[in-house]
Order: sequence, then C-alpha cells, then structure tokens
Amino acid sequence: MKATPGNGFAPWLPDDGPAAATGLAWFDSRRAKARAQVRDQGIPTTKHEAWRYTSLTRLLEQGFTPTAEATTPLQPRDLEPLLVPGLDAYRVVLVNGRFIPGLSDLQHLPAGVRVGGLAQILKSDPDALKDRLNGVVGESQPLFAALNTAGLDDGVVVLLERGAQLERPIELIHLSVGMDEPRVAQPRHIVVLEAGAQASLIERYVSLGEALYCTNSVLELSLGRDAVLKHQRIQTESANAFHIAGLYLSLGAGSRYQCVTVGLGAAWARTDLNVRFAGEHAECDLQGLYLAGDRQLMDFHLDVDHRLPQCSSRENFKGILYGKGRAVFDGRVYVAKDAQRTDAAMSNRNLLLSEGAEVDTKPQLEINADDVKCSHGTTVGQIEPEQLFYLRSRGLSAPLARRMLCLGFAGEILDCLTPDALRDQVAEQVGSRLELAPID
Amino acid sequence: MLSVKGLKANVGDKEILKGLDLEIGRGEVHAIMGPNGSGKSTLAHVLSGREGYTVTGGSVTFEGQDLLDLEPEARAHLGLFLAFQYPVELPGVNNTYFLKAALNAIRKARGEPELDAVSFLRLMKEKLKVLHLDDSLLKRPVNFGFSGGEKKRNEIFQMAILEPKLAILDETDSGLDIDALRIVADGVNALRSPERSVILVTHYQRLLDYIQPDYVHVLAKGQIIRSGGKELALELEDKGYGWLGAEEAA
Ligand SMILES: Nc1ncnc2c1ncn2[C@@H]1O[C@H](COP(=O)(O)OP(=O)(O)O)[C@@H](O)[C@H]1O
Ligand SMILES: [Mg+2]
Repeated sequence: MKATPGNGFAPWLPDDGPAAATGLAWFDSRRAKARAQVRDQGIPTTKHEAWRYTSLTRLLEQGFTPTAEATTPLQPRDLEPLLVPGLDAYRVVLVNGRFIPGLSDLQHLPAGVRVGGLAQILKSDPDALKDRLNGVVGESQPLFAALNTAGLDDGVVVLLERGAQLERPIELIHLSVGMDEPRVAQPRHIVVLEAGAQASLIERYVSLGEALYCTNSVLELSLGRDAVLKHQRIQTESANAFHIAGLYLSLGAGSRYQCVTVGLGAAWARTDLNVRFAGEHAECDLQGLYLAGDRQLMDFHLDVDHRLPQCSSRENFKGILYGKGRAVFDGRVYVAKDAQRTDAAMSNRNLLLSEGAEVDTKPQLEINADDVKCSHGTTVGQIEPEQLFYLRSRGLSAPLARRMLCLGFAGEILDCLTPDALRDQVAEQVGSRLELAPID
Repeated sequence: MLSVKGLKANVGDKEILKGLDLEIGRGEVHAIMGPNGSGKSTLAHVLSGREGYTVTGGSVTFEGQDLLDLEPEARAHLGLFLAFQYPVELPGVNNTYFLKAALNAIRKARGEPELDAVSFLRLMKEKLKVLHLDDSLLKRPVNFGFSGGEKKRNEIFQMAILEPKLAILDETDSGLDIDALRIVADGVNALRSPERSVILVTHYQRLLDYIQPDYVHVLAKGQIIRSGGKELALELEDKGYGWLGAEEAA
C-alpha cells in the first residue's frame, strides 16, 4: 500500500511488516482486534475532544511506514556523545525501536530482576507476557495505543519480583537514526514492580542528526502493593521528529510513583499519561517541563483516575514557549463517587517569551465525592520586565538574564531530576535552547 | 566621575525630572534627600537605564562616557550599581549562581579573567562575614521570601561583591532596625575609597550618622533645590522640607 495521507494510518500496518501474523494465537488475535479498532476509529479531527488543539494532518503527511530492519551498524562508541556523563546505570538501548543487546549493558542485575527485549521474550517465553501485554491498556484502546498493539515490533520488558530493589537506575535509551525513508517505530514497554519492589527508570529519547522519523511508544506500568518507582523521561529528539508516547499506569495499594517528564525536542510531540489507582493509599506525582519554539508542538494529556479512596496525586507542569512555539496541556483528574479522602492538586504554568507563541491549557477536575481535597490552577505569563532589569543592572546581558529567569522558572521541575549528573545535563540543554531562542 | 546636566525625564506624559544638575567627584559621598514623590527613585532609575522613562533633555556623563546611550548591563560594566528601593524577587534563581555570573560578566567586559568557583566562594564568604550575613543566603533564590531587611542587606552584599565605582543606594535605610542599619553602613564604609563614590538616597538623617556624606542635596519637584554640607541634613531633620518651599508631593 502506498503511503499517502488518504490512506490514514493503514501504511503503518502493512501485512508484510511488523504487523504480520506471528503464529502465536492470543497475540495475533489481540492484534487483529486492535487493527479493527484503528479502522473503526478512523482519523480523529479537531472535533474530537482528545485532539481538539492538535491536528494529525502534519503527522499523516509525512507518509511514515515501518521498517523490517532489526539490527544496526552502530557501535558502543557511537553512543558516547549521547550519554549522560557520570550516570551510572543499567543501560538498555533501542535503535529505531528495536532492542539492541550489543549496545546495552545489563551486567550484574540482581536476583529477582529481569530486563530483556520484548520481541525476544515473545518468542522464548510468551506466557510471561500473556497477561501483561495490554494488561494495563485494557480492552478499549485509544487510537495510538491500538496502532501500537497492531504494529508493535519490539520494546523492553522490566520485571522486578516481590521485594526486589535496584541500587542503580535503569536507563532506557531510545535512539533514532535517519533511514532511507520516513519510518515509524512502535515499541511497547512493559514494566512490572511486584509488591515492595523499588526501582528508578530513566527513559531518554535521542536522535543522531536531524533525522525525520516517528516513534509511537506505549509503556504499560504496574506497581504492586507498596512498590516505589521513580520514572524520568527526557525527550531531546531531532527537530524533525514526531514523538508519540502513551503511558498507562496501574498503581497498587500504598505504592508510590513519581514521573518527571521533560520535553525539549521533536517537531511534534504528544504524550499521554493515564493513571489508574488500583489500591488505596497510593501516591502519584507527575512533574513536567516542556519547551517549544518555532515549528514545534508539545502536547501533554493527563488522565488521572481516582477510582479508589485515600489516594493522592500531584500534577505540576511548566512550559516555556518562544518563537512560534505551541503547547497543549490537557489535564483531567477524575474522582469517583466512592473515592473519599482523595487529595489531588493540578497546576500548569506557562511562560511565553514571544508574541507568536501559544499555549492551550485545559485543566479539569471532575469530582464526584464530597470528602476530598482537590485544587487546580493555571497561569500564562511573561517575563517580568522588573526582573529582567534587575539582572541587567548587575551586568548580565539580556539573553543571559532571560536564560537565568527561565531556568529559575523551570528550576522547580529540573530539581526533581536525579542524579545531579542528569539534572545538570538537562538544565544545560534547557539553557542552551533558551539562549538560541528568538525573542519576538 | 558623574556629571548630570539639566536632566529632564518623563514617565508617559508626566515630567518627573525637570532640569536636574549633579556633579559627583571621585571618592565622594553625596546624600540626596527629599520628600516622597520628588523624583529620587526616578533619578536612580534613569541613571541605571531602566525602561519606562523618556529623557527629554540634558545629559549624563559617567567616566567620560555618555551614560544615557548605554544598555543597563553596559552601565554596570562601567562600574555603576543601584541598590534598589524595592529589590526584586527572583524565584528559582540561586543567589550564588546569579552573583558569580554577574561578577564574571563584569570582569569579562573589562577584559579581566573570570573567577573560578573556588576563588569566588572565598570572596563570598569574606564579604558575608563583613556584613554579618548567614551562609544560608548563598543557597537561597535571590530575594525570594526574604524579609525587608534581608533584601536590603542582600543589595549591600551584591554591592560588596561587585565593587562598583559609583553605588546608588535608593532608600536602603528605610525599614531597617538599628542593627541592620549599622551593617548597611559598615558595608558602605568598607567600600569607601578615594576611587569610589556613593549616592545615598535617603529620607532620614539617621543613616548619615553612620555614613558621613561629603555633600547633601535636596531634591524637590524634579530639581536639586539646595546643596550643602552635612549640616544641611541636620537642618532638614529639624525643620522639615517646608522652609525650602518643597512640600510632600503625595
Ligand atoms: N512608573 C510610573 N508611572 C507613573 N508615575 C510614576 C512612575 N514612576 C514614578 N512616578 C511618579 O513620579 C513621581 C516621582 O516618583 P519617585 O521617583 O518614585 O519619587 P521618590 O523616589 O522621590 O519618592 C511620583 O509622582 C510618582 O507618582
Ligand atoms: Mg523612591
């Protein structure tokens, strides 16, 4: 099938590509269902609430198709410029969506911890995935989750057994390199922490050069009772990249989840965070920072479902927009009738550095219980001239002063990043983007 | 060092400075006193290059350069410093990081080598001691959540680090208790040298007990209407501004 916009997403799922039948019955039937869901949903327009501010036209125009290639000529030394200096981590590397063991470093994983490629596990131990794959996403899949199910080619599986603890973080590097044609990769990650397990996961999305490609990744995460996960996502992809990420989380009783997500790169980036509480007394902390300049779209959708009592959630997102940059923040916190003593606070603050920049922010609380503590707030502002003058009167140039104020604004989120090596690198990346940012 | 001649400045359509003359020589301390709303802060802001004012007449030269032509940062590089009447809070901007960047920007503009982290920290500690300030100041965001007195002392601390040739203190003494006032005065006196000059904008004679000015000026309705030695300050304390024909504007 030829890749034209008229064909919608059909070119993402050619019969002879990664979407082909595997012979694994449960898997093939789930894919067939997902494929039907993609077909039935059609192409959402800006009349669909979830796509009200973000058109899919630009994405479809690129004519992305999947690739069958599962290897890479890259050598470990090619990765060096992309690493975080001083970050000591177990490393899992995907190139164009495929797990590459030769670039990964998973030595000395402790007992009770399993990390591996999804495609490989599907072959060698499919039963391990049978209840997990789509276990959190569920039956009715939104468009890009359905596309991912129907066309997923690989991904990473992380499994921590009951009580297992990791001293070092797991760094998951999504590296994309330009191919002969515009390609789409659809990795699926499955992360499971059983009761009492603790880990830290750093996802980094990076590119070589100014490659044009699309990544549509789905991460399914389940935390068992009292499990603790710190999850950091740093997206610094090529200025031509299309980034789609769906996170589906199920948080067990007493579990604690923190996500710090930073979006700096890509031409068009859409991130959906779907949180479902599966037990009481669970805590969810979502911190986000995004920058968008000319020809960039950053779209974050949060859907936090307080269906059970006594859970708490924080949603704190900050954006800096410059040039003709665009951002969307659509945050929904739902509190079910029986979810008493829910504690939820959502905030979205934006700094606009130019007239041409734009943000659509839509925080929503839907509260059906009466004994709850919920709040939300949103601001869209500019740099205060008094602040800029104060810094300049001390000898700092206007661009440097602006950079300092923006980093001050972003500092609250940047300070959530750990270890310091990661924080410092991301702060530097934020700073240098701002210094280059055209003002007005 | 600084020469202000016939300076006129507007905010919008309103003329605030109405032909102001002021000569400051090297090593001199000048006090500028005057009723509320007379234009003291406006003068300080126009000298340091704040936006929002239109200069409609007169000239200002500083160290031989036309000051009014320069960006605020270029004025700082030449050695001008303003201690703000209302220091601005900078949430998220670390005090140490900010001051190191400022000092190095000034040094760089002057062709001097930048200070490394260790020498800078040493300098900070030394000045903190002189000003009886707590170490914790270094880790806090600039002025954010500071008390009024802490903000004023932080201005003096910045002045001590940046070592300007001409420091303008805009009512740094207002709202300070006697101990804080003494600390501020110590900071200014420590900076005094035959090379450095100070403009003290103040309401009260009190500060002048601790910092001896060489000259005292009365600013009223946008002009210097009287200049004299420090006995003029005592006279003002005694009689108010009324006898000079300068009533409180607001
Ligand atoms: N930004 C401004 N907009 C309008 N009026 C101003 C502004 N700044 C100062 N003024 C006016 O200018 C006059 C002088 O103010 P200012 O210089 O602050 O006086 P002082 O510092 O001597 O108390 C006052 O009448 C004040 O209302
Ligand atoms: Mg004033």
